[in-house]
Amino acid sequence: MTFRITMARAATALTLSLAAAVPALAVDFTVDLVNEPSSLDPHMQWNPDSYYVYRNIFDNLVTRDNDGKIVPQVAESWEQLSDTELQMTIREGITFHDGTPLTAKDVAFSVKRITDPELGSPQLGQFNSITDAVAKDDRTVVLTTASPYPVLLAQLVNLSIVPQHVVEEVGDEAFNEAPVGSGPYKFGSLRRGVEVILDVNPDYWGDKGPFEQVAFKAVPDASTRVANLRAGTADLVVSLDSDQVMQLQSASGVKVLSAPTERIGFMGLNTQRAPLDDPEMRKAVAMAIDREGIVAGILGGGEQVVDQMATPAHFGYIPDVAPIPYDPEAAREIVEAKGEAGQEPMVIKTAPVFDQRIVQALQQMLSEAGFNASIDMVDMATYLGDSRQEDRSKRPILGFGRWSCACQDVDGVIFPLLHSTSSWSRVDDPEIDALLEKARGTLDEDQRMDAYRQIQTRMEDQRYILPLYQAVALYGASDKLEWTPTANESLFLNRMTWSE
Amino acid sequence: MQLFIVKRIGQALIALFGVMTLVFFIQRLTGDPTYLLVPENATQADIEAMRRTLGLDQPLLVQYGRFLWDMTHFDLGRSFVQNVKVTTIIASRLPYTLQLAGGALIVALVIGLPVGLILALGRRFAVTRVLMGLVLAAQSMPTFWSGIMMIMVFGVWLGWLPPSGAGSLQHLIMPSIALGLLSMATYARIARSAVLDELSKDYIRSARARGVGTGRLVTHHLLRNSVIPVISVTALEISQLLAGAVIVETVFAWPGLGQLTVEAIVSRDFVVVQGVVLLGAFVTIAVNFAADVLYTVVDPRIRLGGSRP
Repeated sequence: MTFRITMARAATALTLSLAAAVPALAVDFTVDLVNEPSSLDPHMQWNPDSYYVYRNIFDNLVTRDNDGKIVPQVAESWEQLSDTELQMTIREGITFHDGTPLTAKDVAFSVKRITDPELGSPQLGQFNSITDAVAKDDRTVVLTTASPYPVLLAQLVNLSIVPQHVVEEVGDEAFNEAPVGSGPYKFGSLRRGVEVILDVNPDYWGDKGPFEQVAFKAVPDASTRVANLRAGTADLVVSLDSDQVMQLQSASGVKVLSAPTERIGFMGLNTQRAPLDDPEMRKAVAMAIDREGIVAGILGGGEQVVDQMATPAHFGYIPDVAPIPYDPEAAREIVEAKGEAGQEPMVIKTAPVFDQRIVQALQQMLSEAGFNASIDMVDMATYLGDSRQEDRSKRPILGFGRWSCACQDVDGVIFPLLHSTSSWSRVDDPEIDALLEKARGTLDEDQRMDAYRQIQTRMEDQRYILPLYQAVALYGASDKLEWTPTANESLFLNRMTWSE
Repeated sequence: MQLFIVKRIGQALIALFGVMTLVFFIQRLTGDPTYLLVPENATQADIEAMRRTLGLDQPLLVQYGRFLWDMTHFDLGRSFVQNVKVTTIIASRLPYTLQLAGGALIVALVIGLPVGLILALGRRFAVTRVLMGLVLAAQSMPTFWSGIMMIMVFGVWLGWLPPSGAGSLQHLIMPSIALGLLSMATYARIARSAVLDELSKDYIRSARARGVGTGRLVTHHLLRNSVIPVISVTALEISQLLAGAVIVETVFAWPGLGQLTVEAIVSRDFVVVQGVVLLGAFVTIAVNFAADVLYTVVDPRIRLGGSRP
């Protein structure tokens, strides 16, 4: 009897140890990106191909769940000490991939590092409202902002925590080549121009990744990404358009995953320049554009028309806003009534990265409504230089853009686009400026919403900018992958599951 | 011969200096890369700070002086975008470019030269006209289309070859063919006209009169004498292939220099562009020099300038 129990126990122990030794699903996973990540140091480059990869190597201070709610990650809880001081409690038991525990000191270091102008981080603008970060003890850190800053938490979603001892020991350059984080995946190897390999972190404190090893490959041509997916050499591919989606829908073993994003397509108007300094003319522009036609006829990937510079994924989104009317006849009447002034040339400045089908449609719709509109295509750097030049009145009279602040807060969209001091703005309205500052300067959500409602009313009256649509991110994936893409276009491997 | 080499090295240095100066100024004429590096919500102050970090706030001549100083120390600088040494970036791409250029050259030579010979020798037969048509077709097919077709057929439907990427010999096959087919037609036509040229010469007639068979005539007399134009074309082709094949590299996700160059130009990563151009200029000069030396080996009647017979 005793013998039998011993044997049974031994068998159970053996089974358990086997189960522990052999992970339930030992699979390799391949993701096709467009280009190779330009940086693996999360405090440097900020572009999708980079953060798709490094966000799996690092933990962020806080994160958004699949519903878009801000939830704890490295910070387990937080409390506002005053309007300008945020105290965060750091989760216990997080270790970096080299085995060192993550403490409040690393958090303070990470904040100081990314806000240090000497580092030259392109993300400086997202975090430079933070003036100080102090580790009170191993588990407490206090962040200070210059003034009350309601978007702080939303920005901290993008703040990755790096290990102080490693960065200081090896230096910024070596850290970029062999990053050490605390995330669900560890940096494995880098073949420049070809692929980055990540290995699963078996000691991860949270949800572990479902794949043993993950390769992120650079495949610039979208048709090739689709071919890789169909041939089975890729399991997930990013950045598809509706044509490629149609190809995938008829193929077997693969599927299309899509998610409405926080990215907004819009037409920018220079309100400082004739003829668009006239509110009547701006209204005519808005009425001339068939936004439903653009969404259904050109894009066709599930995009939604928006009537404000926000999506339901943003804080500051106002439900039941009156739709912007489409009425080309009325637009034409306004333009004709203006006579000479209505015939001022309007140039749509654009660059190859923007969807030229939309730019051409906009130009055609404007011409049909009687405007004198034309297109001027330049390279991206020239476009950005023109759009952000000192003299606001010289910025392009018209342009098509797609905007995401990666913070899901309206402040990140309309402050840079509308506030008169911003290098993007083509608007100079003291009333709008005051409301934007009010909404940015208080932590009271009701007061903020109230300010955004007033801005929306003013916008309906003035049509400073024309919201077009909420963009959609389209991915191709193997049928075996279960994954819910989110509005902030991130790609967390440990939120995926794989079924054979 | 020595004098020739010394002269050539002097010319090469002047050419390199000229090329680098041109690239330095032309790139900076195209505008400022800072806007591409900062995120959308960066303020004017952030942009200024970034410009200072990159050293782009300095007067142009100061930047140029610093650039020349670094060049004399063999320091090519650091990529604006990737924050990695340019030499590291280029060194990681160069092996792939060499592989692809080698593969394409083999495809071009192995198919192109025999086809050229057949076109010349069999010019009286109707069937060679068809062959000529095929050669033209291979040259005229746009690679972005033929590449995708190859991927669909051999990568997706038949599953014989990996659709894209790099790393093994299998990965190399399709890009080499796609790229090699373009040069193949050039070789076929050059070889055809060179052989035709030789065929009309007296020594061929004499050899025929002596009773030399066609096979021996081709291998012992014709080929060696027709090879000079092939060497000249190969020198040109190698410089072109090493500069990178942007479309083939993009379609097959091949991590060569062509893709790198285009990415660098688009993002105005000046330092990387300078590095690639320097390499390109160096390769072109070196390959042309090698071709000149090779002429004397193939045809002892040719003497290089400066040396006496």
